[in-house]
Amino acid sequence: MSDARRTLVPPTRGYFDLDHYGTLAALVQEWRSLGEIPPERLPTAEDHASVCRFLHYEARLLDAARLPEWLALFTDDCVYWLPTDVDGADPRKVVSWEMNDRRRLEERVERLGTGRAYSQAPPTRTTHLYANIEVLTAGVTEVHALCTFLIQTHLAGRVSQRSGSNGFVLRRAGRSWQIVVKRVSLFDADLPQDNNSFTL
Amino acid sequence: MPGTPMPRPTAPVSAGRYGHLFRPGYVHRDLYASPELFAAEMRHLFGNTWVYVGHESEIPQPNDFVMRTVGRRPVILCRKEDGGLSVLLNRCTHRGALVCRTPRGNARHFTCGYHAWTFLNDGRCTGVPLKHAYGSEYDRADQNLRSIAVDAYRGFIFASVSPHVPPLVEHLAGARDFLDQWLDRDGARPVLVQNGDMQFQTHANWKTVYDNAGDGYHPPFSHTSMLRVFADRYGDVDMQYYAKNFDESPLLSKDLGRGHTTLDQRPAMHAESAWRRQHVSPGREALEAALVDRYGAEEALRMLDASTGSGLNLNIFPNLLIIGNQIQMLEPVAVNRTVVRWFSTTLDGAPPEINATRLRLQEDFPSFGEVDDTAQFESCQHGLEDVPELEWVDIRRHMDTGAGRTDTDGYWREPISSDLHLRCYYGAWRRIMEEAAAR
Ligand code: FES
Ligand SMILES: [Fe+2]
Repeated sequence: MSDARRTLVPPTRGYFDLDHYGTLAALVQEWRSLGEIPPERLPTAEDHASVCRFLHYEARLLDAARLPEWLALFTDDCVYWLPTDVDGADPRKVVSWEMNDRRRLEERVERLGTGRAYSQAPPTRTTHLYANIEVLTAGVTEVHALCTFLIQTHLAGRVSQRSGSNGFVLRRAGRSWQIVVKRVSLFDADLPQDNNSFTL
Repeated sequence: MPGTPMPRPTAPVSAGRYGHLFRPGYVHRDLYASPELFAAEMRHLFGNTWVYVGHESEIPQPNDFVMRTVGRRPVILCRKEDGGLSVLLNRCTHRGALVCRTPRGNARHFTCGYHAWTFLNDGRCTGVPLKHAYGSEYDRADQNLRSIAVDAYRGFIFASVSPHVPPLVEHLAGARDFLDQWLDRDGARPVLVQNGDMQFQTHANWKTVYDNAGDGYHPPFSHTSMLRVFADRYGDVDMQYYAKNFDESPLLSKDLGRGHTTLDQRPAMHAESAWRRQHVSPGREALEAALVDRYGAEEALRMLDASTGSGLNLNIFPNLLIIGNQIQMLEPVAVNRTVVRWFSTTLDGAPPEINATRLRLQEDFPSFGEVDDTAQFESCQHGLEDVPELEWVDIRRHMDTGAGRTDTDGYWREPISSDLHLRCYYGAWRRIMEEAAAR
């Protein structure tokens, strides 16, 4: 763990205020009530292709356990979020498995890099499959990407799957993208979970 | 209320049906690895004592219910129409099907999906289709759902399958004082359990989880990764006091009677300000600033201090663990499988910034610490199940050091790294199991 460590004073401090949560709650409601993508929100073919490329790259970094590089995909005002519910609950009112701001996400990656994170010794091997990718425009600089995921895992002799859907908010960064929000919604988040201390 | 000094747990003798599982300072691996013993525990231990089933705020309205278990038995915890509580064995008196199959909801009665027998939420059977076939002699009461003993202490609801149990407050013994302290942290604001829960499944025996809740020896070792990250970033925060010779610290382990214990870190964690010792959580600066703005620095700090981790592990035998601000309920599933439900808490009427802060703090330990504990549980299970040549598990710490004494509150205390917790609860385990065997 080298460059990802010791961002003692992150550029954006404490941005999880009540308004920020309100924005997240509204975003989830929008995704949950989405019908067919309205024509005015369809991305250009070029954007659609570059978003797919980017998501596949993100999954590839996770499967290769290249976490510092993966972390670099996120913005300074990012959210990495695993809810405990499947009903789109408001994170001001309901606990999450993970509700990470930039700092907490860095700490998470740092912990896994200490060599003493016993929940990941040996580490969980994963294969991330992203499917059903849908891309929607959201203003000039951002898009939303929704997809389903299947993660095949193997931890110390036990093979098992994780499944659900991801919601991404991506911000344009040159010809590629950065992650503003990654919301990992396990389809059984409210039921007993095995060791999920790897990165989903 | 000062506690009654408890007789010291004596070195177990090899008497009774289960005596062969104990010798001074050791317990036998079968306690963790034998499916037969697990079945006996579910029947006789969980069937003959008060078991935690939920919190009153989970079922606030008349006819609210949640599905729970008591030693694997499916039960329904109900708020009756009149506001009283009932706990029903969720087993149809006809052929055994579950009469309730939704985890939570609001219903005055339950209709079994199989042949539509209908029961009120106090257990009374009110409907049996085509009942003439039972003849004229049959007794309706036979068909009522079995309702078991239920009682609550300040919101915490316990149930007992056996009616032969002492009153709940007597059973809670010294744990009651500590529950009071936990509940009274922010003065008048009641604790709410309406904020979701995390269900950790661990492939280990339920007692391995219970052991750990009173294990003040492991934190600096098992949780190195967490402690190191936060020390690197924020300096002397959280449990860094564990870095020193922690048996010399003011941290302590206490026997609260009837198998209940506590690990008390408050003398170190809350010595000055719990909030100031707490490493940064998401939104810390923004939410603190909003509170200071509205309430002034002093009141804001008071509220934040009262909502930072409680500094207390309170272990109420056999299945309730209060850790920080969370309520853990253990659900044994099999000899080597346990679901650990971590219920989050908020405070009724607290500013939204306080409750959002509480939730973010309650996500902290589960994802940075509990995951590593869980890995240790599974590792222990592997070793205990698969190495039959080594039969004994060591629980000797501070058994013979003379470091224990009666504290000013009347409870027996030992240094934080003691195995006092295991010696205490295995005493309760033996008493309940032997009494059931003798019956
Ligand atoms: S099993 Fe319930 S009505 Fe027959
Ligand atoms: Fe621990």
